[in-house]
Amino acid sequence: MLKCGMSGSQVKVFGKAIQALSRISDELWLDPSEKGLALRSVNSCRSAYGCVLFSPLFFQHYQWSTSVKVNENDSTTSNLNCKLGMKSILPIFRCLNSLERNVENCRIFTRSDQCKVVIQFFCRHGIRRTHNVCFQESQPLQVIFEKNMCSNTLVIQPRVLAEAVVLFTSSQEEVTLAVTPLSVCLKSSSDEPMDLTNSVYSEMFVGPEEFDFFQIGVDTEITFCFKELKGMLTFSEATHAPIAIHFDFPGKPMALSIDDMLLEANFILATLADEPSRASSPQSLCLSQKQKRSDLMCSPNNNSKTGKNVTSKAPGCILRKTAPKRLHPNETQTDVPALENCGSPIMKRVNGDISEVPESSVSDTEEMPGSSYLRKFSCMFFGAVSSDQQEHFNHRFDSLATASDTEEDMNNVGCRK
Amino acid sequence: MKFRAKIVDAACLNHFTRVSAMIAKLAKTCALRISPQKLNFILSDKVASGGVSMWCELEQENFFSEFQMEGVSTENNAIYLELTSENLSRALKTAQNARALKVKLTNKHFPCLTVSIELLSVSSSSRIVTHDIPVKVIPRKLWKDLQEPTVPDSDVSVYLPVLKTMKSVVEKMRNLSNHLIIEANLSGDLNLKIETELVCVTTHFKDLGNPPLASEDASQDRDPAQMAEVHIDIRKLLQFLAGQQVNPTRAVCKE
Repeated sequence: MLKCGMSGSQVKVFGKAIQALSRISDELWLDPSEKGLALRSVNSCRSAYGCVLFSPLFFQHYQWSTSVKVNENDSTTSNLNCKLGMKSILPIFRCLNSLERNVENCRIFTRSDQCKVVIQFFCRHGIRRTHNVCFQESQPLQVIFEKNMCSNTLVIQPRVLAEAVVLFTSSQEEVTLAVTPLSVCLKSSSDEPMDLTNSVYSEMFVGPEEFDFFQIGVDTEITFCFKELKGMLTFSEATHAPIAIHFDFPGKPMALSIDDMLLEANFILATLADEPSRASSPQSLCLSQKQKRSDLMCSPNNNSKTGKNVTSKAPGCILRKTAPKRLHPNETQTDVPALENCGSPIMKRVNGDISEVPESSVSDTEEMPGSSYLRKFSCMFFGAVSSDQQEHFNHRFDSLATASDTEEDMNNVGCRK
Repeated sequence: MKFRAKIVDAACLNHFTRVSAMIAKLAKTCALRISPQKLNFILSDKVASGGVSMWCELEQENFFSEFQMEGVSTENNAIYLELTSENLSRALKTAQNARALKVKLTNKHFPCLTVSIELLSVSSSSRIVTHDIPVKVIPRKLWKDLQEPTVPDSDVSVYLPVLKTMKSVVEKMRNLSNHLIIEANLSGDLNLKIETELVCVTTHFKDLGNPPLASEDASQDRDPAQMAEVHIDIRKLLQFLAGQQVNPTRAVCKE
């Protein structure tokens, strides 16, 4: 259960957070806890994750409670597992400037009996606007990523990053950040040789003195999605707080974060892994096509943070041409965790060395008792936010392609149950 | 073939940026001719019915503090490049507060115009921004198509009114018809007219002034009040007017 209220200017920041998360995915989890209200979003191929946590101090008032469900044998407490479609919630927070001017108070509360989130704006002149948004029951995902363990950290004012971002066209899909202890370079990156003759290559060198904090442990070049960076940037301009970038070597995810007294935002993005030199066999090609990025891994529970190698039984491949699939909320108790694998269309490099790649497979976020399974992988995980939910997992190694029970899984190539 | 040039003056840079923005609005791809004294942006559209041609000339001394070029050969001391005008315009736009801008022709796997900008940032450290704009070298046999067009002798020449005003008038007229009739005479009158089945709209501009006549004999016996008229495609005119970013001292319409 969630009940909170905020003022007009806070609505603007809240709305900006939603807009930034909308760049990542079409779905948003509203996840209240004692730490505050978290908004989470994961993209369908699990290569980007965003979370904005508003502490209780951000709100004028904030109340949260778990609900207790009594089953036959025991009672389980559950958090509000609320997933909203961006299409429903984004229009509500569309004109933020006018919202800031007109809204005196905003209240958000949930009505679990009807699976609705109610957003009420109390505006000037006695106008009250109420939006009822239906939500779907879905357990949120959370990424476990030790950003403080990264060897490279940069803290920069959003304005500087904005000036760099202006260099690139909006059609630029990926950018590369190259760092050495002496300089930082942001440049356009393009895999396809075809593109080179048509598009402009741009780069910008920024000296270390422009950063609020500059720590480079290892010289590296990482390539990540530009759109997600822009999303984070627009949010940071609203909060006027510096952005911290934590990263390591290519292939390992990077984190963009903002830490303020009232809120904490984290955007974890997958980075392109290095190209291997050897050719890959069809089998490994298949597997490795899905490993092009170090996908952020999802598992419904936090466990096995093992660095086990990906075996050949690792989940099958999603080929490049698969469009990234959405997370389909499963309200029905199906046993199918959607294996969403990144057939991200922009992933091109093949990583033949599957044993080293921190790859991940994704298991579903849905609360599937006993059905989710865990794959081997990488350095990053998603865990279910409420880990008091005891799910047992069967470690299952499935064949590459299995028929799905449910409709949505028919769409997922190589998805397994 | 070599080309390198540098701009250090902010006003020159600004002007050059605006010229390139104007070119970008007029033509998607254009040819750039580099010669020892001048820089030309050329568009020649051979479409018979109402194709647009453009020839833009810049004296290099007015813009660049350093300018060196070596053409294809000593007899043909020029370089003709084809590029996407939007790319150049966008690259120049990022140079707004630059301390210096350098342009040079490079070959990085394929010919590029490399624009290298030194920006002065707030914390007084300079940032270097580089853009590599891909270009195609136009072979010599195609050079003849890109020569300066001769403006044919006209019946009437008149100075145009403030382009902004003209643009807003033409924009409204565009909604009614695809063809515009321009009438002008030697008394400084200009009419913009559209005629449709339902309505006829004319906007009159008076006292615009006429440039001195080039050839006296042709127009000597012309009645100053007599209008010469041309029909043009309104969209092309609008494209030209919309692209105007550089405030001209004079704009002349010849019919």
